[in-house]
Amino acid sequence: MTSNAEMNPVDCHQLGVRYGRMVALEEVTFTVAPGQVYALLGRNGSGKTSLVRCLLGHQKPCSGHIELFEQDVWASRRSLMHRVGVVSEEPDAPPTMTTRQVLQFCAGLYPSWDALGVEARLQRFRVPQELPFGKLSRGQKAQVSLALALGPRPSLLVLDDPTLGLDAVARREVYDELLGELAERGTTVFITTHDLAGIEGLADRVGILHQGRLLVDASLEDLKARYRKIGWAPPQALRLEDLAPYGPLGFRMGSLGGETVLQGDPAPLLAARPEVQIQDLSLEELFVTLVGADTEVAS
Amino acid sequence: MKAILQVDPSAATPLWRQIEEGVRRLVATGGLSAGALMPSVRDLARELGVNPNTVVKAYQHLVEAGVLSVRRGDGTYVAERPPGFSAAERGAMLREGALRFAATAQTVSATLPDASTALASAWKTFQPVRRGEKS
Repeated sequence: MTSNAEMNPVDCHQLGVRYGRMVALEEVTFTVAPGQVYALLGRNGSGKTSLVRCLLGHQKPCSGHIELFEQDVWASRRSLMHRVGVVSEEPDAPPTMTTRQVLQFCAGLYPSWDALGVEARLQRFRVPQELPFGKLSRGQKAQVSLALALGPRPSLLVLDDPTLGLDAVARREVYDELLGELAERGTTVFITTHDLAGIEGLADRVGILHQGRLLVDASLEDLKARYRKIGWAPPQALRLEDLAPYGPLGFRMGSLGGETVLQGDPAPLLAARPEVQIQDLSLEELFVTLVGADTEVAS
Repeated sequence: MKAILQVDPSAATPLWRQIEEGVRRLVATGGLSAGALMPSVRDLARELGVNPNTVVKAYQHLVEAGVLSVRRGDGTYVAERPPGFSAAERGAMLREGALRFAATAQTVSATLPDASTALASAWKTFQPVRRGEKS
């Protein structure tokens, strides 16, 4: 048997999901390497939920398969789940149980339970442990959920939109805790999120689902090297024809100049047109450019 | 160093390179002195809000370049005699920065003397503060 360190925590191969005639996922293939933080992005209805359900073995794909640590997750869900920590979109526990009771219950399920670590986390989050789970705020529920997910010292952490509905402070605390976990244990993380600004410094690799297909699967660094945002100011206006060789996406022209995102290397353009400048391109802008409108993307 | 080393995840420059350049600049300007203990990967990652892998990558590049040195089981330190940039590196970085600045200056129709004055005043912002001197 290969050791944990060499096995890919996630191997998704040619995944397909259909509901009747509706195609939810088609030929989705990607890998998450050990220690990586993989962020899966997509608009609502892009197929993210189906993918996460398949990834956790809750749903059987119509075609293809997902392996976690080289085992088929649908066939081996039970034996795999002790190595996987999950924070679901809607953190759930019996509403009348206090956080302390939920903790005790979970601690009994896992031989590898890290009681000290969980306690320290909940103290950092300042979650009142004697309060019934149902009385906690949304942010506190998410924080308890993260503390519980990290309790069994998982090798893979799956976070399904963990910051949804959280205020800026709670969000920061969740990311801080995640950073600490990454630094200390090198846990592999698979995260879906709409908080693109929050994940931008964290993600090693980004997948973008669009209409059931994986439109992008690349390291964040490669993505930023592949797509360059340029801007220019009047008086010398660039025309769409000048940009055609560089595969412009989302050409915007205003009275104060224009901007666009290029798929090709802009070096020749920059040399020929000094008024054109490379501008910073945030993950959010890139996401909107790629999936916000019907754009043609060279693969 | 919290206040001085800052990164922008949305910038066009990769994060690890921003950290690398930031540390190099701090070393060059005396913000980090030779032999100083660097923050742990974990602490710096938290402080900057970036993935620890990114800090590791920046540290690795800095160690390879001889700016930082690792003492096993102890920590990462600024090298006793950190190298400056090579002549080629310095030339390339100067040229790149100058092009950007020249483009901005021409866009606002500044003259070369105007631009030089602006550069000289910006220059002072980054001068190392000497000990015992009031800024």
